[in-house]
Amino acid sequence: MSKPIQAINRYKADLREMSFLLFEQFRLGELLGRGPFENWGEDEVRASLAECYRWAREVIGPLTASADATGCKLEAGGVKTPQGFKDAWTKLYEAGWKGIAVHPEYGGAGAPHVLQILVEEILSGANTAFTMYSGLTHGAAEVIEAFGTPEQKKFYCQPMYNGKWAGTMCLTEPHAGTDVGSNRTSAKKNADGTWSIQGTKIFISGGDQDLSENIIHLVLARVEGAPPGTKGLTLFIVPKTRVSADGAIQEPNDVSVGAIEHKMGINGSATCVLNYGENGKCIGEPVGGDSKLNQGMAQMFRMMNGARIMVGVQGLAVGSAAFLNALEYAKDRKQGSSIANFKDATAPRVPIIEHADIRRMLLDMKARVEGIRALAIKLCHHQDSLRSLGAGDDQKIAYHQGQVDLLVPLVKSYGSDQAFRVCELAIQTYGGAGYTRDYPVEQYCRDSKIFSIYEGTNHIQAMDLVSRKLSQAGGANFQSFIGDISKFVAENSAHPVLGASVKSLGSAHEALGGAAMKLLTWFHTGQVSMVPLNANRFLDMMAEVTVAWLLLDGARIAHEKLAKLDAAQPDHAFYSGKIQAALYYARNVLPGVDDKARLMLEEDRSPLDIEDAAFATV
Amino acid sequence: MKILVPIKRVADPDNANKLKISSDAKVDTTGLEWKPNPFDEYAVETALRLTENGANTKARVGEVVVVMFGPKEAESTLRAALATGADRAIRIDANDADLDGDVVAQGLKAIVDKEKPDLVLLGKQTVDSDSNQVAQLVAEYLGWPQATFAATIRSEGDKALHVGREVDGGTLHLKVTLPAVVSVDLRIVAPKSVRSAHTAEGHAYPDGVRFAALMAIMAAKKKPLVEEKLSDLVPGATRKIEYTSFALPPARAAGIKVKSVQELVQKLKAEAKVL
Ligand SMILES: Cc1cc2nc3c(=O)[nH]c(=O)nc-3n(C[C@H](O)[C@H](O)[C@H](O)COP(=O)(O)OP(=O)(O)OC[C@H]3O[C@@H](n4cnc5c(N)ncnc54)[C@H](O)[C@@H]3O)c2cc1C
Repeated sequence: MSKPIQAINRYKADLREMSFLLFEQFRLGELLGRGPFENWGEDEVRASLAECYRWAREVIGPLTASADATGCKLEAGGVKTPQGFKDAWTKLYEAGWKGIAVHPEYGGAGAPHVLQILVEEILSGANTAFTMYSGLTHGAAEVIEAFGTPEQKKFYCQPMYNGKWAGTMCLTEPHAGTDVGSNRTSAKKNADGTWSIQGTKIFISGGDQDLSENIIHLVLARVEGAPPGTKGLTLFIVPKTRVSADGAIQEPNDVSVGAIEHKMGINGSATCVLNYGENGKCIGEPVGGDSKLNQGMAQMFRMMNGARIMVGVQGLAVGSAAFLNALEYAKDRKQGSSIANFKDATAPRVPIIEHADIRRMLLDMKARVEGIRALAIKLCHHQDSLRSLGAGDDQKIAYHQGQVDLLVPLVKSYGSDQAFRVCELAIQTYGGAGYTRDYPVEQYCRDSKIFSIYEGTNHIQAMDLVSRKLSQAGGANFQSFIGDISKFVAENSAHPVLGASVKSLGSAHEALGGAAMKLLTWFHTGQVSMVPLNANRFLDMMAEVTVAWLLLDGARIAHEKLAKLDAAQPDHAFYSGKIQAALYYARNVLPGVDDKARLMLEEDRSPLDIEDAAFATV
Repeated sequence: MKILVPIKRVADPDNANKLKISSDAKVDTTGLEWKPNPFDEYAVETALRLTENGANTKARVGEVVVVMFGPKEAESTLRAALATGADRAIRIDANDADLDGDVVAQGLKAIVDKEKPDLVLLGKQTVDSDSNQVAQLVAEYLGWPQATFAATIRSEGDKALHVGREVDGGTLHLKVTLPAVVSVDLRIVAPKSVRSAHTAEGHAYPDGVRFAALMAIMAAKKKPLVEEKLSDLVPGATRKIEYTSFALPPARAAGIKVKSVQELVQKLKAEAKVL
């Protein structure tokens, strides 16, 4: 008989670390209490995090393993989500966590993004699959808020922000995954002014469910006669069930679920094949009205920043949960004796946290997790600074917007790639127990793999970075970024504890600048295929430089605080942990940046030169 | 019904930052993460349940006033109670070092004289010092009836409460006329433990203490919170209990393997002295 899956919460978060980032490293206090965050003070921020954490652990955390085991079911043409999800959905919107950064006009609390992403981290970490449904809903509502007609905003936003209705993003088709421009779903204008939608979408997260009264699909489709490629795509609002002008639910809108996928992870999240207009009765309206035809990709692009940040935060969430669980296990599991007693067979057994290799893995996970978190907060802090600036400060606006654009692919890719690696290390830390379903880390590992694939694969992110973002504003954004790091290096390279690491950062960021030049040369000398070959590598280099910078900056603050505390005081361990994590990353990860830069200069072409037939003989 | 609920913050036992003992054998609280004393959270939950009908947790029949003795930075604990539904808060400015159960009880008496609640509802004890004294002392100072360790409470209008106390081998039922002092135990937050005069028979709450919604957290800062001075309430208050020194419990020594049952029995007798 197999063991029953227990409905217990395994999620944990380190709220002390979160408050360190918000209030000590990024000085959120300076933005609070004035426009547009006049309702927010430090107390509200702390109280929200604490209460959201309690909520997540008690309400959705206990559903994580059971939802993974049962998955979603397609019954009588509709998706049945795992047990407990419906009730949790109601409670989520009662508690209001999804509304934390929503504009007060739509009933939200208008919080800073830095807080919003920590709330998202907590929700996604406690139950990734469950949180997908509300995440997509939020993203779809934001698209309508940004680009909808006044009537569309009024009609759709509030019910989507308050969970009465859900939302989806429908881009992918069987032959159009990364290549969104090959979309074939069609839209045809009817005599009564409505549009008929016809086509098949696949891999649609939350494409159907039994949580909300209705689902508002945002569907990329091609209007009859529109140009081919991405330029001819329009984004349509397509409700699952039609709604009358006064908001009453009416007849089905000819959207059917063809199938749901059987997946490696996030099994509680229904990934659907959706058929639109099989009976010619599916109607929709373009986002922004008929004057906004063929602008679907532009609209999607503007909104993609938010969605991509959230995927990076999903990685952060799961990676952090995996690390903290592995840490708990390592303190508890006794195996072997201390290496100092290696000759004595009767030496006492020690918790595995005393073994050097376990300590290495734990510190590696800590540094990566805290590094991704700092990276995500850095990005969102730029967004919040942007919102705090009045009109007129054009230079600062351009600076913050430029940094946001530059950092988005790093948060998405590095956050998701590292999450999977952290989960893998967490399993290794556990040993055999980690491979079983008695512990949560194997599920974390399976759940986290998708993050590097959806919302644009990580290679697409890397190409976005090297072919668009680096050269944006004539390269000024990248130069400001390098400039910020140079300043930090100049100010801190004589630091008594961190100095040597700061100098490594100096060398690494120069290597990064050199690598950027190399990419440019390839572009201009007809060696374009060298660019995608090195794009992911370059993204990693830039992310590692950024993470090292932010960890060292955190360590600098921790070092200052530590000087004022005596060793018996509780925060002593916290601050010294910040310093050790930064030193570890700077000494063990950062040198790889110089190595990778050297590899780029060596211009290895073997993956390009090898013939297809030479990969294998089968 | 008007209910006064005293609350205290305690060091979060789940946080890695543990209480430390300084070199002069005093408790060192710097850098600790704080949370409300769990029994006090149960008391707030109980007070909310006694002043609503269960179906609508937003409309209050009566008033819940939370009160705390502590420094300014402890106000967030009061705000947290306001966010879950309490109506207003009073903070009596004091340092932990100046307080003991008796000073708190005297201070509470002074607050009760001003506020004239029908009920003072407290957690049975705090999880830091575990003294379990304040409810009994304040009842004595007020000359009010008391019921301690309540596991169930049913209210009969504003006149009396039926209190169930778990005792060895069963439940002891008391009827206390108001005004009164009641302290609550763990089981008071079970789904059907508390029924106000307005709650439908058989109504079941979710188990445990309710969550504060985000909007309620935001609204809590607009609820009234007034500050009082301990010296105004209890002129010349002095502690009756002096803490001379603190020490952490000794770390657990490593276990040993015994060779035989005889040896085990012998050690249990001679060393552990449990047989
Ligand atoms: C669980 C799950 C949930 C999803 N949810 C949604 C959703 O809600 N809405 C939605 O619209 N889609 C969703 N997707 C689809 C997802 O966004 C796509 O899977 C993703 O965009 C990749 O497309 P593809 O799977 O067709 O892979 P392909 O595009 O076939 O790519 C295969 C590989 O080739 C690479 N590649 C492709 N094109 C290029 C190129 N031009 N240059 C270099 N390399 C290239 C890719 O990086 C990848 O490694 C979901 C997918 C999954 C698995």
